[in-house]
Amino acid sequence: MGSSSGDLRYELSQNAYIKLVLHSLNHLTSAVNGVLIGRISPSNDAVLIDDAVPLFHSHLGLLPQLEISLMLIEEYFSAKGLNIVGYFHANERSDDYELGGVAKNIGDHICRYFPQAAILLLDNKKLEALKKSKDRSAVTQLYVRDASKNWKLVHSEGNNRFSLREPSANLMLLDYIASEKWQGIVDFDDHLDDISKDWLNPGLFN
Amino acid sequence: MVTKTEENQLNRLESQVDNGGSGAWEYLCLVRKLKLRRSDKVLKHGLSILNNPSKRSALGPEEWTLYEQVAVAAMDCQSLDVAKDCIKVLQKKFPDSKRVGRLEALLLEAKGSWELAEKAYSSLLEDNPLDQTIHKRRVAMAKAQGNIPGAIEWLNKYLEIFMADHDAWRELGEIYVSLQMYKQAAFCYEELILSQPTVPLYHLAYADVLYTLGGLENLQTAKKYYTSTIDLTGGKNTRALFGVCLCTSAIAQITKGKSKEEKEGAQVQSLAAKVLEKDYKQRAPDKLPQLTTALKSLTLSS
Repeated sequence: MGSSSGDLRYELSQNAYIKLVLHSLNHLTSAVNGVLIGRISPSNDAVLIDDAVPLFHSHLGLLPQLEISLMLIEEYFSAKGLNIVGYFHANERSDDYELGGVAKNIGDHICRYFPQAAILLLDNKKLEALKKSKDRSAVTQLYVRDASKNWKLVHSEGNNRFSLREPSANLMLLDYIASEKWQGIVDFDDHLDDISKDWLNPGLFN
Repeated sequence: MVTKTEENQLNRLESQVDNGGSGAWEYLCLVRKLKLRRSDKVLKHGLSILNNPSKRSALGPEEWTLYEQVAVAAMDCQSLDVAKDCIKVLQKKFPDSKRVGRLEALLLEAKGSWELAEKAYSSLLEDNPLDQTIHKRRVAMAKAQGNIPGAIEWLNKYLEIFMADHDAWRELGEIYVSLQMYKQAAFCYEELILSQPTVPLYHLAYADVLYTLGGLENLQTAKKYYTSTIDLTGGKNTRALFGVCLCTSAIAQITKGKSKEEKEGAQVQSLAAKVLEKDYKQRAPDKLPQLTTALKSLTLSS
């Protein structure tokens, strides 16, 4: 599998990034989560996050819907040579920066299939400040597991451990927020309530 | 809870008004009736009526209800100046009103002045010890400050007095689930099923919690409640159909062919699987291959 999580970089594509943030904006009053889809880089030194699937906006701590969604998502993407490589979580309260039990458990579960999996936690302060700041860094915090399998925050200021693939991702994000593109985002909760709704969100980036 | 017809009506009105059409007042009344949280839209459309003198006077006595509704929506959107203005108008019209007093306390909450808000609510409660809204604000304040154990405590106290408040039981159940306290969550859903046994959502939530708890007995009970959900929804609930498949598979993994119920269980599972496949074929055909594989893996392990 190459290097341990201690050395790996994590690179987040614009599409995955925007999808996840828009999902959280679509459900301002609840916690939301999603999975990260991607692969190990050919040079074995990075996890490339190519896509994301928004999962739920209610009852994040329940297993049945999680198990079904992971099965279907993994099945779909493995046919394209991609795996579930991580988990995204946005807490219910805007000032809550704790990585809670539910997030850690789901992260642990994903690690069983992809040991270098990461967790991204939405940073609400950064998101709010985005309109005024010209910050190019992602509005998410990165967590990886250390040798004792505890989730630790990775400080990426200064080093290269976590980056947005496209440097203009935040500009695109602001654009999408301004045009209220978060309204049409479909997550797995929506799909389970109405299976004609597509959790791939095919029309989002046209 | 909102019915499908009500939801459709709401969405229709919402897009109509958003696109500059009429029906803003109808929309606002519907939001109020269904107790929905659409604060950005309520603020926008409510203000457009309030800022228009002729539209405002056309409302007659309902004008004050609108001020109240917009005040709350404004606070939810952190437009505190708008909220303040609305409350001032109401204070002028209804001096010494307890209802306006609640709004004032709510504004303190919105500002984050928790201690002042708590004092305001306490004094309001002295005169109205059975005011449900104020009791619930206490829970909300605890939650907003990140004091979840406090919220649980307040909510339990509330339910001791108002044990028929279904929304409160649901809220408590959701809080327990978010803290992974599944046994306690199960208790909440049991209360809901006892008081409203024909509401499928409670059966479904209960089944979900039991499945999450795990263990043979819980899985078997979960399966029963998934099937009752299917019954109550005429076989149309996707989550319950998946639930049946998951339960059968999980039960089989524990009992490993030692149980007689399994043949019966396999039948229910294959029925549920057939319904799911038919539904996906019709309404989500591009997702059918993954579904078939997933269902196969669930039946293979049982």
